[in-house]
Amino acid sequence: MIPAVPHLVAGLDFPPIGELLNWKNIGPGGFNKTALIDVLAVALTLGLFFHAARRKAMVPRGTQNIAESLIEFVNGQIIMETMGADGLGYLPFILAIFCFVFLCNIFEIIPIFQFPADARMANPLVLALIVWGVYNYAGIKRQGFRAYVRNSTIPPGVPGFLVPLVAVIEGAQRFLLNPLTLAIRLFANMLAGHLLLVTFALMADALFFHNTVTATIPIGVLPVLMEIVIIIFEVLIAVLQAFIFAILTGVYLGPSLHPEH
Amino acid sequence: MLFAAGLVAATQKVDCSAAGISCQNAQSKNPILPTVPEIVWGTLAFVVLFVVLWKLALPPLVKLMRDRTERIANDLSSAEQARVEAQQTLEDYKRELAEARSEASHILDEARQAAEQVRQDLMARAEAEAAELRARNDSALQAAQERVLGELEGQVREVALDLAEKVVGANLDRDTNLALIDRFIDELNAGPTSDAGAALQ
Repeated sequence: MIPAVPHLVAGLDFPPIGELLNWKNIGPGGFNKTALIDVLAVALTLGLFFHAARRKAMVPRGTQNIAESLIEFVNGQIIMETMGADGLGYLPFILAIFCFVFLCNIFEIIPIFQFPADARMANPLVLALIVWGVYNYAGIKRQGFRAYVRNSTIPPGVPGFLVPLVAVIEGAQRFLLNPLTLAIRLFANMLAGHLLLVTFALMADALFFHNTVTATIPIGVLPVLMEIVIIIFEVLIAVLQAFIFAILTGVYLGPSLHPEH
Repeated sequence: MLFAAGLVAATQKVDCSAAGISCQNAQSKNPILPTVPEIVWGTLAFVVLFVVLWKLALPPLVKLMRDRTERIANDLSSAEQARVEAQQTLEDYKRELAEARSEASHILDEARQAAEQVRQDLMARAEAEAAELRARNDSALQAAQERVLGELEGQVREVALDLAEKVVGANLDRDTNLALIDRFIDELNAGPTSDAGAALQ
């Protein structure tokens, strides 16, 4: 516990990081803010697509336009770019990943919530493990177990004496590091963004409301401005991380569907 | 400011006792590691989202988009076909128009040539008829003139002889007289303005 000291002398009275991430339960079964954001992300996504599917207009508008744009975006910019036409069957999976990650991220800047569910390791880890399971299952189903392992660990054209080394590196990357980096990248980005927002919010709070040196109170405007900039930046990060997670899912699925590449 | 205030409130007012853990325990938890309930809720949420999206929400929307794509493709195909047909029709029309123009021009030329031929024929025939008529008139006129002149000569000779006989009171030698008269008439014919001609008229 950091002892309370006067502001502007010992720096910011930053709360223990556990207070920023460990939320109290608000329902049974350990249902906390993170779980609530998960459920809201699911509800919003399904609400959007069900509402869009009900309209069935030939010229899309409103939610139908948003939903169709998302489908076309995932099909065109993610699946076709990483897996080709063979991967179009994975549209529901990758679309679900993109929407879920984006909505869990964007709650970072929604008042009252102000927390990205992906700043907890649970969501990124769960998603990464599911992606790991799916791309390994797809590879084994498409190529057979032996061929899949061989194709995943020994790239074509590797000299014989390098095969053991390359096989270890490629195998570790394919079966261990890929899901790990996938999870950590998302988690670390969202946690860092959340900590940045908290830092500048606390700085503004300290300068405006807990400042013992009256002359320095106007300086509080600076962290407020910085907070606004970071909020805008976090919107970009929320979209970007969702896109990166989804496109990496496609990238990992690609070799499972097309071992020749 | 409201956002910052909310964030500060949300981060600083954790009620540890309500969460069923002590604040000391909450703070000592590793903030990196996920909790089991979060993993369960996260897994449930994503699986539900994926399955419902896959089985219920997406199919009608994807079908709608596919139908629209097919319809647009068909419309484009029909439009292309119509365009080709229109182009073909336009080319046919232009070709027929050119042929019609050519034919009309040809017909006009032929008509012009026929008219020219008819004109020339008519002109030639008219000229021939006119020439014939003129020749006929000339010959008739010549004959009439000769006939009149012959008759006139006879009458003049008779009248002259009678007058001469009456003037001299004697019957002169007829042959001599006639010779004189003939000479006189010849003089008249030779010069109509001479005194003899004037006297005859």
